[in-house]
Formats: sequence, structure tokens, C-alpha cells
Amino acid sequence: MSKFWVIFKREYAQVVKKKSFIVGIVLTPLLMIGFSVIPAWLASKKASDTEPLAVIDRSGYDSGLKFSQSLERYKLDDDSTAYYDVRGIFDIDDSESERYQIVYDSLVQCINDQQLKYFVVIGPDAQLVDTASFMVTNSDNFRANRRFGDCLSEILSAIRLQESKVNLGVDSVLSLTRQIDLAQKDAKGDSIPFEIKYFSAIIFIGIMFGMIFGYGQLVMRSVIEEKNSRIMEVLISSVSPFQLMLGKVIGLGAATFTQVSIWVILGAGLYSMKGSFDIDSSIDRILFNPVIAAFFVFFMMSGYLLFSTLFALIGSIVNSEKEAQNFVMPITMIMILPFMLGIYIIQNPNSTASTVLSLIPFLTPTMMMMRVIFVAPTLTEYSLFSGIIGEATLGLVLVCLSVLGMIWITSKVFRVGILMYGKRPTLPEILKWVRY
Amino acid sequence: MRLQLESIRKVYDGKVAVDDLSLEVLEGVIYGIIGPNGAGKTTTIRMIMNITIPDSGQILIDDAPLSQDFKNRVGYLPEERGLYKKMTLVEVVQYMAEMKGKSPHYVRDHIDYWLELMNLQEYKSRKVEELSKGMQQKLQFITTILHEPDLIILDELFSGLDPLNIELIKNVILDLKRDGKTILFSTHVMEQAEKLCDYICMISSGRKVIDGKLSEVKAKFGKNSVQIDMDGNGAFVSSLPGVRNVTEFNNYVELDMDEGANVSEILKTVANRVKVRRFEIVEPSLYDIFIDVARIDPSEYNRAEEGEAHV
Repeated sequence: MSKFWVIFKREYAQVVKKKSFIVGIVLTPLLMIGFSVIPAWLASKKASDTEPLAVIDRSGYDSGLKFSQSLERYKLDDDSTAYYDVRGIFDIDDSESERYQIVYDSLVQCINDQQLKYFVVIGPDAQLVDTASFMVTNSDNFRANRRFGDCLSEILSAIRLQESKVNLGVDSVLSLTRQIDLAQKDAKGDSIPFEIKYFSAIIFIGIMFGMIFGYGQLVMRSVIEEKNSRIMEVLISSVSPFQLMLGKVIGLGAATFTQVSIWVILGAGLYSMKGSFDIDSSIDRILFNPVIAAFFVFFMMSGYLLFSTLFALIGSIVNSEKEAQNFVMPITMIMILPFMLGIYIIQNPNSTASTVLSLIPFLTPTMMMMRVIFVAPTLTEYSLFSGIIGEATLGLVLVCLSVLGMIWITSKVFRVGILMYGKRPTLPEILKWVRY
Repeated sequence: MRLQLESIRKVYDGKVAVDDLSLEVLEGVIYGIIGPNGAGKTTTIRMIMNITIPDSGQILIDDAPLSQDFKNRVGYLPEERGLYKKMTLVEVVQYMAEMKGKSPHYVRDHIDYWLELMNLQEYKSRKVEELSKGMQQKLQFITTILHEPDLIILDELFSGLDPLNIELIKNVILDLKRDGKTILFSTHVMEQAEKLCDYICMISSGRKVIDGKLSEVKAKFGKNSVQIDMDGNGAFVSSLPGVRNVTEFNNYVELDMDEGANVSEILKTVANRVKVRRFEIVEPSLYDIFIDVARIDPSEYNRAEEGEAHV
């Protein structure tokens, strides 16, 4: 049996036989679901307690009372109890600034004592000055802010309407000026909603990031272990450094492949139960898109090779994992860049900046993948040489060339680095090894 | 397997580690490379193992340059020991043997014999990290020889082993020699080489100082002196032919002899006149020879050894 396979077998078994491998397979999707679902669930959860508030009305139009009535439309979970309990309405004339200050201070005190959750001040000439009104609270609640704003806007609009002497009922004017939700469709006919695209991209890129980063670091750890325990010298007397490096990278790559395959099977099982979840069927256009699937596999493999060889290089020049962390840091930055730029790319998947960034080899696997998902092309739409498929193919070629370059550099540094103990080599020294 | 080094030279960062070193290791012998720490022993071994490449000169195995096949026919125990801590004994032995081109089947057939011999059988399924340091050393020794290499290279083999285990492994080495294996043994402890080696090569500061058959080296560099332990008055010995100088010790006298003096004649004469309890031609120790030949100040040798202890 070729020695490459001996190394391959060991590296693969070392990962797959561990309990943590199984735990990771189960736990990672659970965590991912947890992180995406729990915040959404918490945010959508209705309150179960009535929230007390007070209103100071300085407008002189009975706005405080109207505001209080307007709030009655919001109910708690049981759909019968009022969400907001207006404990007091203080009508204060514009001229009574001393009284206003006393009331204001005592309401602030109530909030600090947690007797009130909010109080709203409707300012003098509120119907004319948009910034005259405000709310005071210690809890940053977007929903309350939006609801109070909506109610107050309606009341002030009605006041303005009366003042303007237009002969129309308040309700009819409000119904004339209501807002609509602008639905969006793309040029291909039906559309994939933004959320579906975004979450698919996050999941695809998340898997890619996790696998490349996690297993890439395993390559590094494996090299450091052999270096630290001084097994390296015996190994190198049995195989060439290149065989050793390749056996590691590809053996752990196979473990990556195993893990993703298991996820795909689990995912297929979950998909068959799709009916029980409220998921837009347009997700099929991403999940069953052959272009996306093919590029995911290619970018995953080439990205893994690129980063794991880089990690092997780092492993060969450092003496401990602690030392290695200095190098891991910048790689992490590079890898999370697509997440940070995600919002920009989803809005401008074909801008020059997006295109250029996604053609930088170390960014390509994640960045280009993100663009491919956002554009969600079909094979008939683009040829291999144009559009997003053309660019992704170009990116893939560039990554593959970089992989070859990386393997070449790493094999040069690796064979010297693995036998160096103690002092970490400087950059000029490493460059010398590359030319050596 | 016969090993030849021809004018090997290696320079690291301007410092000459090994300089113009030539030696020949015949098949079926135990060959000792000895010298203080930093003399270039490990560098030389690394070049034989093709881990580092000599700047000039060449290394021949059975008159041919190093080949890929050579890696499977050699067993190497480096000075710095280490094994995979998280693997079990069996897994480690299996892996190391497969790395030397042996089949899993072969390993299964041979592993028990060696584990038994080294008293490791009961730890078979334990992880390496659970073993004591001495046991790990023995395990590593097994991984060095399980694949039946023709050439066995042992760098500072006995460091860290207790006397019982030293004896155990020494016997294995002698067995291997009887089987026709070639053993290259490096150490800075001269007494070990003296007990075990057929041939020795002394190196100092990367250069060969002396090499050859152990007995010949000793004869050649013998101080030519005789120790006699006897009953009765031995004052007459100073006037015997060929005796240059006599030093009296508490229990014996030591005679420094002239070059070419007839030692047997002296024994005859002495035995005729007094009762001889012990008559011994004193062989110099390798250490003495080394200090003498390499013209090293003994304190410097000791310092070198002390230095090693701190590394």
C-alpha cells in the first residue's frame, strides 16, 4: 500500500473515530438553527403584561386623550386585554412651563421607580413641528416607539386636516393616504424573497467557512503535534515531506467531505418534512439549482485545499498552538469578510467592487459563492463564459492556480520548517527556503 | 547492508557541522559514532537518513546512492523521542510499520512477540500517554525494529533508560547483530560504546579523529603499561628490561613500558620470583584515547556534556 494512503487512513480515522465528530455533526446544525430561530422567536413573542404609561399633552387639541384611545387597538396575547395602560394624561398649557417641569420630573421619577414604562410628551404646536414630540423610557423598545409614532402621526394628521378646512372626514383621508407593501419580482418571472436568499447564503457560506476553517486548523494542529512530539523525524525518515503533507491535507479533506455528506443526507430528510414548516417554496430554486450545487462543491474543495495548505505551512513554522494563533487571526478576518460584506453584495451582486473582491483567490470561495446564490442563475441563462457563471468559473480557475502555487510554496517551507525547533523563522528566512 | 560516507560536509549558517567525514560501516557489525555533544553525530545521522542533504560528498548503500527503497530497509531511533500520545500501543506500532511498507497482516503476526519481550503486552490497548517514560522508550524501540530493517540507526539509545531496560535492549541489539543486521550507534557516553561496539568512529567538532576496529584502536593508542598485584617484595621490577617507570599504588604497581618491550618476558620473570595475584596489560579507556587524540581539555568535554543536560 502506498504510504500516502497510510497517512491518509490515519488522519481520516483520527477525526472520524472520535466522539466529537458525531457530536459536531449533530450539534452544529442545532446551534445554527438555535442562533437563527431563537432571536426571531423572541422578537416575535408578544408581551403578556400590560405596559403602563403616561402622556403630557401640551398641544391644546386633546391629543393626549385621542392618543390614549388610539392605543386601545393594541391587545395582548389573549386579544382582549389592552396592551397599554394609560395611567394619566396631563394637559398642560404652553405657558405653564413651571408646572410642566414639575410634572415632567415626577414622571421621570416614576419611570426610574418602575411604576411607569414610558411617558410621551406631545409638544406645543406638535401638528406643525415634527420634532416637538418625544417619548421617555428606560427600555429600548422598537415596537412601542413605532406604535406610538404611528398613533401620534394619525392624530396630528387629523388635526392638520381640520385646520386646513378641507371638507373630508378624517377617516377617509387616512384611508386615502395609507401605505402599501411593494412586492418585488425579478426579471425571471417569480421571485426569491430576500430573506430566503440571505439565509440560504448564510447557511451555505456558514458550512463552507466552518468546514474550511475547522478542518484547515486540524491540519495545522496535526503538524504541530508531530513537530512537538518529535515524531516528525521518524516520519520523514519513512516518507517524503510532500507525501506527508498531502496525506494530511487530503485525509482530513475526506473527513470534511464525510461530514458535509452526512449533513446533506440529514438535510434531505428535513426537506422531506418541509410541509410542516412555513417555508417559501422558492427555496427550491436555490436548493435544487445545479449551478449552485456544482459551484458549492468546487469552491468547497478548492477553498479547503487552499486554506489547509496555508495552515500546513503555518503548522510547520511555529512551535506551539499558542504561537500559531497569531497567524490564525488574519486568516479568520479574511474568511469572515464575506459575512460582513454580505448586505452590500446582496444589494449589488454585480457591481465592480463585488466582482473584483470575489476574484481575489483567498476570498473567492466564500465571496463568489455568495454572489452565485444571490443571482441564482440557471444553466440556460448564462454560458460558461459570460455572466455570473463565467465569473465564477474564472474565479474557480484562479483558486485552482493559487492552490498549485500554495502547494509548491508550502512543500518548500514545510520540509525545512518541520525540523526546526525553538526559534520561529523570520520572513526572509522563509523566503530563502522557498528558493532553496 | 554496507554503508559508506565519502567526504561528507555540511555547513549551517556559516558554521561547519560536519567536515570531510568519511567512514565505512560493514554489514553485520555494531558501529559506534562517538564524540561529545555538538560534535556532529546527529547531523551525520540525519544526512544518512536523507533528512538533510550534505553540501558535498556522497553517501552509498551497498555501493549505490540513497534510494526510496532504502527508507523501508532502515530503522531509525532519533535522539529526540516521541510518539502519538492519543493512539494506542497497537495503533502506533501498526502505523509506524505500515509507514515502512509492511502490511497490516505482517504487523499482526509480529507485534505480540515484541510486546511480550519488552514487557508491554498488558498495555497493548492503552494509549501511549498512559505509559511511563521508560515504557514509551521501549515502545519506540519496537517501532524502530519491527519492520526488520537491515540497517538500524540508534541515536543516543540508552539515554533515560534504567539499567534493567538497558540490559534488555542491549541483548536485543546483540541478537540483531547475530542475524546479520548492521547497527549504527551514536552516543556521547564512551563506556556504552566500549561495551557494545565492534567498530568505532570518534568525531570532534565535525571532524573524524580516529576510526577502526575497537580492539585495534585500543591497541594502537594503548599507553603500553602493565599493572601487577603481587605478594612479596616487588622492588626488583624497576630494574627489569623495558621498564621505563614504576608507580606504586596501595595494592599494586603500574609499570610504564618502553615501545616494543616484551611483556610476556616480564610476566615470566615476575612469576618466578613472587606470587602474582593479578597481571594485567592496561587498556586505555575510549575516553582517555579521545581526550588524548582530540587534544581536548577534559574539562571542556565535561562542559559539553553538562551543556547537553540543559538543552
